[in-house]
Amino acid sequence: MLAQQRKRMAFWLILPTLLLIVAFKIAPIIEGVVVSFQAQSMMRPNPDAFVGWTHYKRAIFEEGVFGAALWRTIVWTFGSVAGAYFVGLSIALLLNREFAGRTLFRALFLIPWVIPEVATALLWKWAYGDEFGVINFLLMRLGVLETPILFLSSPGAAMASVIVVQIWKLYPIMFITLLAALQSVPRELHESAEIDGATVWQRFVYVTFPYIRPTSVIITLLAAIWTFQNFDIIYLLTGGGPADATKILPTLVYEKGFWGLELGYASAISLLMLLCLTVLSVAYLFVYRAQREET
Amino acid sequence: MEMKSGGLSRRDTIIAGLGGLFALGYKGANAQGQANLTFWSVRLNTPELSAALKGILEQFQRENPGIKITHEPVSGNLVYPKFMAAIRGQSMPDIAEAYSYHPLQFAAADQMEPMDDIIKEWQGNGLLADISNEFAYKKFLWKDHYWGVPYNLDIRAIYYRKDLLEAKGIQPPKTWAEFEKAVLATHDPSKGVYGLAFPAGNFHIAQHYYMAFMFQAGGSILDKDGNLIFGTKAKDANVRALTFLTDFHTKHKVTPPGIASHNTDDSHTIFVQGRAAFGMGAGLMISRIMKENPSMFDKVGILEVLEGPAGPSGRLTAGFYNPMFVWKHSPGKEAAKTFVRWFVQPGRLEPLYRAAPGQHWPIFKRDAGTPRVMENRLLREALTNVVPYATDFAYPGFGRPEMGVIDGEKMFAAPVNEVVVGAKTPEKAVLDAHAAMARLFT
Repeated sequence: MLAQQRKRMAFWLILPTLLLIVAFKIAPIIEGVVVSFQAQSMMRPNPDAFVGWTHYKRAIFEEGVFGAALWRTIVWTFGSVAGAYFVGLSIALLLNREFAGRTLFRALFLIPWVIPEVATALLWKWAYGDEFGVINFLLMRLGVLETPILFLSSPGAAMASVIVVQIWKLYPIMFITLLAALQSVPRELHESAEIDGATVWQRFVYVTFPYIRPTSVIITLLAAIWTFQNFDIIYLLTGGGPADATKILPTLVYEKGFWGLELGYASAISLLMLLCLTVLSVAYLFVYRAQREET
Repeated sequence: MEMKSGGLSRRDTIIAGLGGLFALGYKGANAQGQANLTFWSVRLNTPELSAALKGILEQFQRENPGIKITHEPVSGNLVYPKFMAAIRGQSMPDIAEAYSYHPLQFAAADQMEPMDDIIKEWQGNGLLADISNEFAYKKFLWKDHYWGVPYNLDIRAIYYRKDLLEAKGIQPPKTWAEFEKAVLATHDPSKGVYGLAFPAGNFHIAQHYYMAFMFQAGGSILDKDGNLIFGTKAKDANVRALTFLTDFHTKHKVTPPGIASHNTDDSHTIFVQGRAAFGMGAGLMISRIMKENPSMFDKVGILEVLEGPAGPSGRLTAGFYNPMFVWKHSPGKEAAKTFVRWFVQPGRLEPLYRAAPGQHWPIFKRDAGTPRVMENRLLREALTNVVPYATDFAYPGFGRPEMGVIDGEKMFAAPVNEVVVGAKTPEKAVLDAHAAMARLFT
């Protein structure tokens, strides 16, 4: 009886959140699925006309923009997450040591996390500028460069440049999570490994890493999901250019949906993107469940 | 249990409550019969222009006490998401001023009120004949109706440094050949001066400068019947124009090295800082020079629109006649049209023109030669050298909603950007852009 009452109570408590999720998450996705099978172009009559798989076929087989944008999205996601993990882990290892001012540095390294994405993009746009950017200005003033580096104007450099910005934005969450995980590594294990003659690298690989591996997997998967669907930074820094070098799936969807007025086609690309994200999310759930069972 | 007599049932109470909420929320007209209109503006949102617009709106409301205007600025970056959300939610503004092709695009979505009556009135009272260019209003003609009326002109010009040309003994160029020669002669890296600054980034306004060269080469996007000819009949001229423009970067190397990521503001800034002999810019450049580097004002001139391979008949440049339009489902449609009629009158928008000299131009000839213009040398030069040659980018065709998508998806910016970074040859870039545009016209 009590159990039934508790279940009912739980249901009522969860209901408002459930309704909000249905209204603001599930319903738009269902609407998106419906729209992706309709003509839904502001340039054409009869927007509600059923067009079947037309938009999906166009994205995958006819235009080639989806495949190219997907590949760039994978490069962008992998580069950003790998870079942010490396930077975050390095800082976490450094700040896990005892030294004066450690708390201050821990706070300072979190700053990029609290800066809004739009401000981040503008900040880096000013830093990267070929004519007015602070990086080129300093390097040229110091005599290191004669001509500016075209961070955002060269197709070869643009993707790397935007990845650096995303690493800057992403590393604090990596660092703070990994630092928490590092603090669970027993100090005695390190001490005994040191007595046994293990090098710093061996101590990291055989003592530290096994302890932070579960956290690392979870945080990199989450970061991959966030980065895969990130829109603001690339849109504001390069608009997808030059010559489409940074046109990832979210910018493609925005361009087709809002500038091209092809809501049906943009919805189809969004749903293909959702499929890719689902793979990442399912991987996350599997890993999460496996780790819970291990503990 | 429902109470059937002597009181309200629960259902009646809910209906009455919802009715009350609807009445409170409805803004179409109040008990005194006052029309409440929402006016969205996209291009009048800088502090100076907003202040000038506020005064104009207050004047309208004083003269028309039965109509209240609520002004809402819309960010240029959010213009499409905002309008599209409004269309889907059926919460469009009663009146709006926005980008060039919005009325036709929204008409294609069956959201626009025809403005034929206003055009007809203008025909009768002589205002139509006073409009500087027939493309100004005919660009809004689609399927036998006018879906918007023009209220201002946004120009694209080539600015030059008179002092640098004089130092080299060069006259202001009038043809492509003279222009190329002058740009190459004035490029002086030792003094930090580029020959030419133009934006070639993947942005909307960046593409408008190619448009001028396209017309001057005898090319176009559409023919006079509105058919797409960008990569077919007009291909050779369009490739020639693209080659001429991009050669300044790829072959002659007289531009800033990073133009592939530059938007109009970047080119404006380089020129205003005195770091380019020639600079392609919008009318806004005049305001920026006056405000940010007034000592350079006397050293700057505005070129006459150049003569290219097409000869005198091709002496044209891109000009954007921006519209006002009314929502088809507005409960205050007639009041909205009253506002448009009042707003687009000779002399009415003078405060806007004073607030940002050069950024907005009147559409009526009688407004062009005012003392405000004649007493400012750059405005005067723009008036004689550029305004008469400013035409719509659908030229020689008239309004097509597809042109909004071509502009929006930057199909026309892509060729410049791709050639400048070396990703494509001019011919391949034009053909690829044509293929992308062709999908819209099928």
